[in-house]
This record gives sequence, C-alpha cells and structure tokens, in this order.
Amino acid sequence: MTLRLSIPWRDTRAPVLQRRHGGHQSKAGTGAAAGGSRTSGKVRRREQEAGLKRANFGDGPGLPTLLLLPQLLILLFFFFIPSLRALMQSVLLSDPFGTNVQFVWFDNFKTLLASSDYRQSITVTFWFTVAQNVLTLGSALVLAFATDRIVRGRSAYRTIILLPYAIAPAIAGILWAFLFNPAVGPLAQVLHWVGIAWDPNLNPTDALILVTLAASWKHVCYDYIFLVVGLLAVPVSLMEAAAVDGAGPIRRFVSIALPMLGPTVFFLTVMNFIYGFFETFAIIDAVTKGGPAGATNILVYKVFVDGFVNLDLGSSAAQSVLLMSFALICTLLQFRYFDRKVNYGV
Amino acid sequence: MVERSPILNMVCHAILIAGALTVCVPLYFAFVAGSLTVTEVQKVPLPWLPGNQFFDNLQLAWSKGNFSRTFANSIVVALGITAGKIVVSLLSAFAITYFRFRYRMLAFWLIFVSLMLPIEVRIVPTFEAVANAALPLQSLADILHLADLWGWISGHDVAITLEWNMVNTYPGLILPLIASATATFLFRQFFLTVPDELCEAAKLDGASPLHFFWSILLPLSVPNMVALAIILFLFGWNQYLWPLLFTTDKDMATAVIALKGLIPRSDSEPAWNIAMSGALLTMLPPALVVLLLQRWFIKGLIDSSK
Amino acid sequence: MGRKVAFIAALFGALALVGPAQARVEVQWWHAMSGVLADRLNELVEKFNTSQDKYTVVAVAKGNYDEVTNGVIAAYRAKRPPEMVQIAERGYMTMLLSGAVVPVQDLIEQKGYKVDFSDFIKPVASFWSYKGRMSAMPFNSSTPIFWYNKDHFQKAGFDKPADTWQELESQLYTIKSKGISECGTVLPGDFYWSLLENYSAINNQPYGTLANGFDGLGTEFVYNKTKVVSQVARLKKWLDDGVMQIAGQGFSPEQLFTSGRCSTFVNSTASHGNIERNATVNWSATFLPHESDINSPLNSTIGGGAIWVMRGHTQERYDAVAAFLNFLAQPETQVWWHGATGYVPATNRAYALARERGYYKDHPTREIAVLQLSRGTPNENSRGFRFGNFVQTMLAQRQEVEAVFAGQKQPQQAMDDAVKRGNEILRQFEKLNAGKTLETERP
Repeated sequence: MTLRLSIPWRDTRAPVLQRRHGGHQSKAGTGAAAGGSRTSGKVRRREQEAGLKRANFGDGPGLPTLLLLPQLLILLFFFFIPSLRALMQSVLLSDPFGTNVQFVWFDNFKTLLASSDYRQSITVTFWFTVAQNVLTLGSALVLAFATDRIVRGRSAYRTIILLPYAIAPAIAGILWAFLFNPAVGPLAQVLHWVGIAWDPNLNPTDALILVTLAASWKHVCYDYIFLVVGLLAVPVSLMEAAAVDGAGPIRRFVSIALPMLGPTVFFLTVMNFIYGFFETFAIIDAVTKGGPAGATNILVYKVFVDGFVNLDLGSSAAQSVLLMSFALICTLLQFRYFDRKVNYGV
Repeated sequence: MVERSPILNMVCHAILIAGALTVCVPLYFAFVAGSLTVTEVQKVPLPWLPGNQFFDNLQLAWSKGNFSRTFANSIVVALGITAGKIVVSLLSAFAITYFRFRYRMLAFWLIFVSLMLPIEVRIVPTFEAVANAALPLQSLADILHLADLWGWISGHDVAITLEWNMVNTYPGLILPLIASATATFLFRQFFLTVPDELCEAAKLDGASPLHFFWSILLPLSVPNMVALAIILFLFGWNQYLWPLLFTTDKDMATAVIALKGLIPRSDSEPAWNIAMSGALLTMLPPALVVLLLQRWFIKGLIDSSK
Repeated sequence: MGRKVAFIAALFGALALVGPAQARVEVQWWHAMSGVLADRLNELVEKFNTSQDKYTVVAVAKGNYDEVTNGVIAAYRAKRPPEMVQIAERGYMTMLLSGAVVPVQDLIEQKGYKVDFSDFIKPVASFWSYKGRMSAMPFNSSTPIFWYNKDHFQKAGFDKPADTWQELESQLYTIKSKGISECGTVLPGDFYWSLLENYSAINNQPYGTLANGFDGLGTEFVYNKTKVVSQVARLKKWLDDGVMQIAGQGFSPEQLFTSGRCSTFVNSTASHGNIERNATVNWSATFLPHESDINSPLNSTIGGGAIWVMRGHTQERYDAVAAFLNFLAQPETQVWWHGATGYVPATNRAYALARERGYYKDHPTREIAVLQLSRGTPNENSRGFRFGNFVQTMLAQRQEVEAVFAGQKQPQQAMDDAVKRGNEILRQFEKLNAGKTLETERP
C-alpha cells in the first residue's frame, strides 16, 4: 500500500500534525473526500465490473443477499415506503384523520406551483443557500489561510473554531435568536447603538441575514477543516519555489494553493447547498419560524408547516416529492463528480 | 514558513482571534444568561457580566429538563444510531464490493438513491409509516381480502388488524435515522482501496467470506469505524425534528427535545436562565467529544464527507 | 351474524395498554398544557381520581396544541387513539367533521349524567356546539383582555386606559412622548386572535359570510371589506412611530410588559398566573377597547381548548370518560379551575358561585374576561368562527399582516391577498367535506 492511494486513515494523522515535505501529489482533503483511491480505480476498473473488487468471492446470491438484508429492510420501511406514500399522498386530497380521501390527479402540484407562497419559498431558499454558501466558504478560506500561516497556537484556534460542529442546530438557533433579539439581545443592542435599526422580527431582510449568520456560524467549521487539511497537502517545495520567484504569501495562496484546492471547494459547495437546503430546519424553527412575512420560509420548513401545522397533507406530500426529485438530481451530480474524480464507474 | 512576515502573522492571528471570538460570543452569553436569576435575565438590556446563580441554575435545569432520563435516552439513541448504521453499512458494503451476483447493481442503486435524502424531506410520510409500520401489510391484507378469505374458510367473521406502532420507542427513534446510504458509501470506498492480495491470500487459505470479513477486513476498518462513530454520535445526539415529532412521551424525549421544553413559551415563565443552563448542559457531551477526540473527529468528518 | 374476532398482530413496540383485569378502568387524556397550567391540570385529574374508585384518568402532556393534534391523528390512523384529547379552538371544524369523534353531549346523556348544557355561558356554548348540541367539552376557555401598567398611566395623567381605540391611541402617544415608557404596547404573538378576530366580534364586523361559517361550509372571508383593514393600518402606524414593539421569536411579548418596558399588552386572561408571579410592575387589566363609532360593543369570543372524545373505545372506557366529563362540568370543579389558572368559568352557575364567595373582590381583574364574554347578546358576528382549515388560513393571514409591518404591502392590498388565499383554503375544505354533516351515531 503506497501513500499515493491516499487512504483516509493514513492521511489525517499526518496532515493535521505536520506538513508533509516532498513532492507527492496526494490531496489529502479532496482525495479522502472523494473516497481515496485514484490509481486503483483507473487501472483496474476497465476490464471488470464497476465497483466490484477484482478479488471477490464470486457468484451466488445467497450470502450477499443475507448481508444486504438489514440495510434493504430498513430502507424499505423507512425510506421506500415513506417515499411511496408521499408519491401516493401527493395525488390525494384527504383530511388529516384519513377518513375522507379523494383522488385529485395533479391538483396538489398545480395548486402548489401556482401559489405565490411556494414561489416565494423557492426564492428565499435560493438566496438563503447562496448567501450561506458564500459566507461559509469565504470565512472558512480566510480562516484556513490564516491557520496555515501561523505556527503558534494553531491547535488551540482549530479546537475553538471546530466547536460549533458539536452544537445542535437547534441550540445554535436558540443562541443566535437570543443574541440578536431586538428587545433584549446584547448584540442587537450594539447594532442599535451604532444606529442600525435592526429588527429581524419585523424586517424580512434582517431575518434572512440572521438565519444566514446562524447557519453559517454552525457550518464554517466543516468547510474550514477540509480546507486546513487540504492546504497541508499542498507541497512545500512548490510554495518554496514560488517564494523564490518573489510571490508573496497571498499571491501564493491564490495562484497555487487555491487551484489545488479546487476539487475540495467544489465538493464543499455541493455540501453547503445540501446543508442549507435540508439541514437548517432546526435553525429556522428556533430563530424565525419561517417569518416574518414568509421571508425565511425555506422549502424544507414549508414541508413541515404544511404537513404538521396546516395539516394539508396533499400539498406537503407534493412538496416532498419535488424536494426528493431535486435531492436525487444532486445525488446524481455528486456521483458524476466522484466518477470524474476517482473514476468509479458504478 | 517560507519567509518571515511579522505583519502578516499578526493579521493572521487577528483573523483567527476574530473567528474564535465569533464562536465564543454566543456561548459566553449563554453562560451569562445561565448564571443570572430569573428577574435579572429579564432585564433589558441583558447584563454583560455573569451573576452568581450558575450552579443553582444548572441543578434546576437538570431536574426540570428531566435530564437524568433524557440524557440516558440521548445516549441510547446516539449509540443506537452509531452502532446500527455502522453494522448495517459494513455488511452491505461488503456484499456489494466483494460479491458478484445478479442483483448487485440493483442493490447498489437501491441503497445509494437514499444518499442525500435526509429525513426532513420526507418527514410527514415517514411519521405516518412509523406510527404504524404495518400499514402497508394491512393494505395488502385489505386489498387481497384476506379477512374475507379467512372468514370463508373458518366460518368466522374476522377483522385483521395489523399493528406495529413505534411511536415512543427506541427503534422508532433510531431506525429511520439509519435509513440512508452515507456510511455504506464510505465503507464501500474504503473496501475498494483494500489491496486485492489480501483477499486472494485468504481465498488460497480456504477462508470463508465471513471469515475474511471478520478477521481481515474488519480489523482494517477499525480506524474508519471509530472516526465514523464519532460523527454519527454527534449526528444522533443533535437530532431535532424527528425526536421532536416522535416522542410524545416525556420519558422518551432526548436531551435536545427536553431543552426545547425549557425554552419559555408565551404562556410560561420567561426562565431564560434555566433554558440557557440547559443549553450548556445539552451541548456538553458532544462538545467534549469534539474537544477530546479531535483527531478522530477530524478524520471522521473528512472520511464521511457528509 | 358470525362472531366478531379481531386479530391484533402487535409486533414489537406496540403500547401495552391492556393489562390483566384491573379494578379501575383507566382512560387516557392527552393535553397541551405546560408549566404552571400543567401542574394545575394534574391536580385536577388527581382530584377526580381520588373522588371515586372506579376510574382512573391518566393525563399525558403531549407538547403544544400542534403536537397534540399530530399525535392524536397519528394515533387514530394507527388505531390507538386516546379516549380524550384537548384540541385548540381553531381545530374545531377539523375535529367536528373528522368522523373520528363522539359528541360529548350525546355521550354524557347516554351514560345517564345530568349536565345542564344550557347553563354554559353563551360564547362558550355556541363555540363548541353544533346544531345546538355540545360536540366537545369546554375545558380551558379564555378571551383576550387589556393589561396595563397603572403607574405609567398615572404618570401620564390618566386614570386608566380609554374605552375606545381612538382615545387609547392618544394616551399611548402621550405616554411615549413624555418618555414614561419605551413603548406604549407590545404586539401579542397571537394578534390575529385578539386584535383581528376578537376585534371583529366586539366591533360587530363580519369576518366571513354565512354567519362566520356557522351556516355552512360555503363561507368566504370578508374582513378585507371591514374595519379590520384600518385596524391593521393602525397597528402599522403604531409600529412605525415606535408606540408598539414586536417581541418576536425567542422572547415573549409578556416579558416586555411585565418588565415595565411596554405600558400595555393585549393577551389572554389565562396569563393571570404568570403575570401575578413575574410582574415587577404595578399592573391591572380592563376590557379590550372598541371603535369610537360603535356605541354598544359586543362580546369577545373564546380561545383555548376543549376536550374531544375519540371513537373506537369500549363502553367500559366511555363510562369512565362520561364520569370525568361530568366531574368537569360541576360548578365546584369549574370554580377551582378558574381560580387556579385564570381561565374563565364555563358555566353561569360557577361564575355565580365565584362571585358569591367574594372571589372577585380580591381578584377584580379575573372577572373582566367573564364580563366581556357575556356582554350583550351574541349575534352572528360575535358568536365565534366556523372556518375549516382555520390554522392554515390564519397563518396565511399572519404572513400578509407581517408583510404590512415590513412595509412590503399596503393594508388593503395585504388583506385582499389574505382573503384570497384564505378563500382558496376554505374551498379546499369544502370540497373535501362536500355534503358532510356531523355523525350523531351513538358510540
């Protein structure tokens, strides 16, 4: 096993502790992110079935079926059946108790797509995820660059910056709602002192800013650690050569390190979108509950409100179906990315 | 470093200090609020320095949040998710990488379709499905008129009622959160990097597939498992929406949900001091994991890529 | 007819409800109370359980109203509903037409208890009954009242808040301009209930056609053509002038009042317990204001919850349920609950009893809600609201009002949009329940 395989457990210990010297090209962060194994992929996959070990235990469905059974059963009950139910429910009009059900074809979808409410939710989701993405990735890049430059206190900084990962999104939301509450929040007071009429309960833009801040605060650590690890893998020799040529630290970061981090940045962008789309539910719930005036009513929150508060099961199911289709497209895109990266034909 | 550049170094430190402060400020104010009396915490604006009620509030939060029970629940749920997902994923990843069988590709896609579909997206139907997981079987029984059939055979009037209600049970809390492919994907990627020679050698020795799995593949996977376990533990501990909907029984609530119960509502006492103490308590276990097992945690993050 | 045999294949996880033959019949009651109110509710249940030896009521807190509703829906679909469930007033039509409930009056009478349903105070009785029969048991009935800071008003030179919105407005502006407090009033979290719906009832404004929905599912909202529009405009003006503040997520509006930051606060009479305990200010309460051109303001309407009885249980269990509901209807129980919580006594007899005992001498503000509820003769604008999917229409309306507050829409435009959205939701409910009436089958 050579280092070029970039096996994840080999990577982390080394890059986190010390910079590697020498010119090998393994990108710890991205390589691991993509699941490692570039060389093994390329050579072998051609002449055999994709994603199957060359050395395998051959034919016979008995044992593998048994091995797959637990996962497939769990997926059946908690993934496929619910998804199927969403699909069915999305073409039904029914009362919440299920005593009165009518088949309405695609009425739920039609109503949904025609409603200004839903279109607003799409717009909001778009801006929220984009802003969150830029803020998260931008802060993470700056912090990672700074971490890479310094020697003293590096692990202390890293420890603190990683801390929000441990904090539940719900708790993060509560903390931020508290800090920026216009009536009593200490940071809102500061804003008021400097003359900003801050009020996320009233002003849609403020609300969107607040949830974006909270969501980013919670997620910067994720991007940060990938970038720190990625930067460590940038060969010192390359940087030294550039320094000899007179390139300053920032210039070197932009023109050497950043391009090498490209795949990591791409990967992080996709992950940030997924995070913003689906995993910020608790933050929205704790900070704004989708308001004011629907300004933070992101799609996944709307699914919940329509399903569990409004008890409009048909519409909620139709939204689930649309979201699932979207997520499926994301999955396929991500696969294509893995495909290109490490050449896993599956 | 390549060259000395004290100014840039200072700027870097400044940036990092700013970053660290941004992380710490919300936590600091949670601590401040958690150390005040209920009257002090209602002052506008909030005091910027802590009071002297910190430990009293912690104690009160502990008992009000039923934390001795809900922490135990959180631990069971987080460990259940961790262990369940790792076991299930190891087995299925082993099956799809080391065996050639007819439905391999189908199985692969069935599993990987779920890769990026968090439970939040299908929350309503999942809730229904788990409230009575036997419902599909029931529909099947209804469609096939099994009751009538049985009635015809036995001469009795029969109603078939199938029930599998998992509300307020640990399986109900754990299983739906295991239903995604992330860990399977990770192990699959890892197995693909394991040298083929190991398997060939095992086959030459006449080892069975399970023996190979147990004595070679599993030990090799330990670092990945540990790293992943940490991520899954955090994931499980911090779950919100699912346990929120799913545990209507106070004794089955998780710590995060119990904390939500401490957050003042419009018709209850605005005891933000207790709520913030509860928040600090609830974030303590995962924070300790991140602080103490940092290296493994970082590895887990980067491995799982999700 | 063959024998009826039920196979229950309970896989793991099923609630084990049926134990060995018990001396006492146990029934479940899922409720949405929290904090002090939950403690009081548990005391109430305890009183019932110790008052006799045949039945045991188990009170189970299932979160807030939304969570209780979802819980009971899931449980019903899984064929495991509790015997009783507390549902908020807004869920009335959903429950009524669900086919999943047993009307309480039928049940109580069938079980031979004598409860005088005509004695329930009007707005309570009319809200919870259908075709003259009580469909759910009124439990925690409240109504919004006007809380104020006595010191602030005195400092500004007023005895008490004015009766009309117009005079009140000038009072609040005076308080603000004299710098007595930072804000005249705080927007309640459920302003749609107190400041729009109750406002319409008190000021005799129609909210929807067909007597606010009492006369049929074909009802349509009309509040975009009433004083509600100018009410929204008034709130917006107060907000812009800093006379009104919004507490927002994470903080209760109540806190801004009890801490003395805002001088007044419109909120449920049920906050008596909290305000008495938490207020650091010299507070009092009075009636909600009315418009100056309305000479005789009408009654306000109720909010809060009622107890619904779910279908699908044994007669033995229904015996227990009826006994408990009968216990709740007793004047003594009512008076105790009223005093312990601040909710209104649901019957005239209980109210008379509380008066007789001089309760209101010590607690004058606790009488306001009853007086305000039973003021005048309820007409079709003040009897209450019968809108299907009422939570959903309310959320749409709230969103539109928030758009006004944010300056995105003019009040008229916003109310037009709210009515349009609300009517679409109402039509969906009508379509779903076409031709439906309450099932009056015996349990």
